Amino acid sequence: MGKLRFLLVLWFTKCTRAFMRLVGRNATYLPGSLALRFCPGFMGYMEMPKTVIAVTGSDGKTTTSNMLIDILTRRGLRVMNNQLGSNVPAGIATSFIQSCSLTGKAKADAAVLEVDERSSHRIFDHVTPDILCITNLFRDSLMRNAHPQYIADFIERAVPKSTRLVVCADDLISNRIAPDNPRVYFGIGPLPTDVTECINRINDMQICPVCHAQLIYDYRRYHHIGHAHCPKCGFASPEADYLAHDVDTAAMTMTVTDKGGSGQYRLVSDSVFNIYTMTAAIAVLREFGMDHEEISEAFTHVSVVSTRYDEEDAGNVRIIMQMSKDKNSLAGSRAFDYISSKPGDKELILMMNCLHDQQSWSENISWLYDCDFEFLNKPNIKRIVCTGPRAKDYVLRLQIAGFPAERILCTEKELDAPSLLEYTPGESVVVFYGTDALDLVAAVREETRNQAEKRAAI
Amino acid sequence: MKIELLYPEVCCLYGDLMNAEYLSRCIDGAELVKTPLGEKPLFLSGDADAAFLCSMPEHAQLLVRDEFRRFSADLDSAIARGTLFIATGNAPEVFYEYIEDTDGTRTEMLGMFPLHAKRDLINRYNSLYLGKFGDDIDIVGFKSQFCHIYGEKVEPLFHTVRGAGLNPDVMDEGFRVNNFMGTAVLGPLAVLNPPFTRYLLGLLGIEEPKLFCEKAALDAYDLRLREFSEPDRGFSY
Repeated sequence: MGKLRFLLVLWFTKCTRAFMRLVGRNATYLPGSLALRFCPGFMGYMEMPKTVIAVTGSDGKTTTSNMLIDILTRRGLRVMNNQLGSNVPAGIATSFIQSCSLTGKAKADAAVLEVDERSSHRIFDHVTPDILCITNLFRDSLMRNAHPQYIADFIERAVPKSTRLVVCADDLISNRIAPDNPRVYFGIGPLPTDVTECINRINDMQICPVCHAQLIYDYRRYHHIGHAHCPKCGFASPEADYLAHDVDTAAMTMTVTDKGGSGQYRLVSDSVFNIYTMTAAIAVLREFGMDHEEISEAFTHVSVVSTRYDEEDAGNVRIIMQMSKDKNSLAGSRAFDYISSKPGDKELILMMNCLHDQQSWSENISWLYDCDFEFLNKPNIKRIVCTGPRAKDYVLRLQIAGFPAERILCTEKELDAPSLLEYTPGESVVVFYGTDALDLVAAVREETRNQAEKRAAI
Repeated sequence: MKIELLYPEVCCLYGDLMNAEYLSRCIDGAELVKTPLGEKPLFLSGDADAAFLCSMPEHAQLLVRDEFRRFSADLDSAIARGTLFIATGNAPEVFYEYIEDTDGTRTEMLGMFPLHAKRDLINRYNSLYLGKFGDDIDIVGFKSQFCHIYGEKVEPLFHTVRGAGLNPDVMDEGFRVNNFMGTAVLGPLAVLNPPFTRYLLGLLGIEEPKLFCEKAALDAYDLRLREFSEPDRGFSY
């Protein structure tokens, strides 16, 4: 009866998807949602592709998944994925509907599934990944994800026993999940920018998980990411099986070494965060069976999705669009650190407001006080325009961070923000934006471009 | 003057650290002191003028409980002396009788108040918060928590105007004994509520208190208070 119900639901949802596509809809969520409603164990009846790779974690899972999909597809494999849909169960069920035969047989050679970390238990109950990459665990929306250990506990309960984990050696929160599962670690060796003390407001791994003594960091990238040991009980970060080293952000190269050899890679981004993402993808592909040479060549065709970071020249300035996920203190800190450490003068527009929340209630702005606005308090950041419904909160936060009040401007209307900048020749104008108002972001970008060109023509 | 931040290596969630930092920056010459796990808090011996205990992961609640268990007599004395102590987010739960999970498991806590927490780790409760401190001071903030609090009537810290109090069925929010205060309201409370922070500074003996970044703080407070007072504004997330 279960199998019959599955087939009926599969046919119904395949028809639903076809109809939605016919009328111009993306159909990346509803078919799966219907399937799970009428057949809760729907995904469990599907024949899985030969290899199922899942990617979860707080940050970098979309980028990692996209890299894996690009490279495996380039290799000639048919890769089932949820790249265009959602990473919750309905989105993944839709991907299965799309890529299976009328009897539920897999048509793809491999699956790469980006899995929402909070939804992992609802997916892994029915889908057993061969490889699960956990990119990292950081703070995310406090309203949904509370804190990283909470999410770690969630994933711990969800991971099937046979799944091989690919986890970050330098992240003591995510790499201790499901300790009995087989695993390999990826990491980055010492970098010239390393520190030992935490300079971030968020530091979620300060005490030894075994004896609760203060951990000592041998090196640290940011927040709790680094290599630590306990002086009391001997607990320590694991060593990386896939180690990125000789990272040269000027030449944009790095080497990754594992027990099978080494490969030199062209960096897709000079940010440490994206180097971790790239190393995670390399580790997964090595576990999948590809050799360094093939992966390295494939990476020459990979780029970071431009909706997250983009640059263009306009007038006499360079416009930089930097996504910083709304309500996410860590994303803000990483973006502020990255942009503020780039050379040259800058003017900024902060518009990471969660407009979706503002429509129905009011954004919980507690995250602003976990976020390192202090990184923006640098002499080469000449002016900051705060805009959107929470502009006044940004003004206060910047002042508490020590940024001079006379260099902060404030306007509620986002489209008015670009006109408040100076556009001094040679500087960069950086727009920090959230994820839920991309049309408005595009309009602000266009207005910034117009203003830059207008000032250049004077 | 010393402002003490208790166990910041684990009690550091949801922006709460800024409560102590902000208050200390409102006081000329104030020193912010961080006391780690394993060390006796200064405020217990009268060596700090105020102490803050911030939101923490659930496992850390047990570590903090065990720390305070070592000093229960000192804690009673500090409360009786009227030392300013503020616990925010889920930190007040440390001082309740127990935390009960949805599967019925009970975790004993310090039992200083006849209250207990019912915790649902799957469903997080999120809302805006609008309340009153005394008759005159409006309180704005947020709630984001796994627990609701039940038990006997205690002296509340705030009276809820909109949003949930200790639980959705009561208007009392938090507790107060002398200057020992606890509330689940996030903000950070001291940053988002300039009038309340002025009151706290008054408790510390600061005459005519001047807030750090006062104008910006008041601008943000006024806007939020206006928004939260709008009758059509949704409150539960």
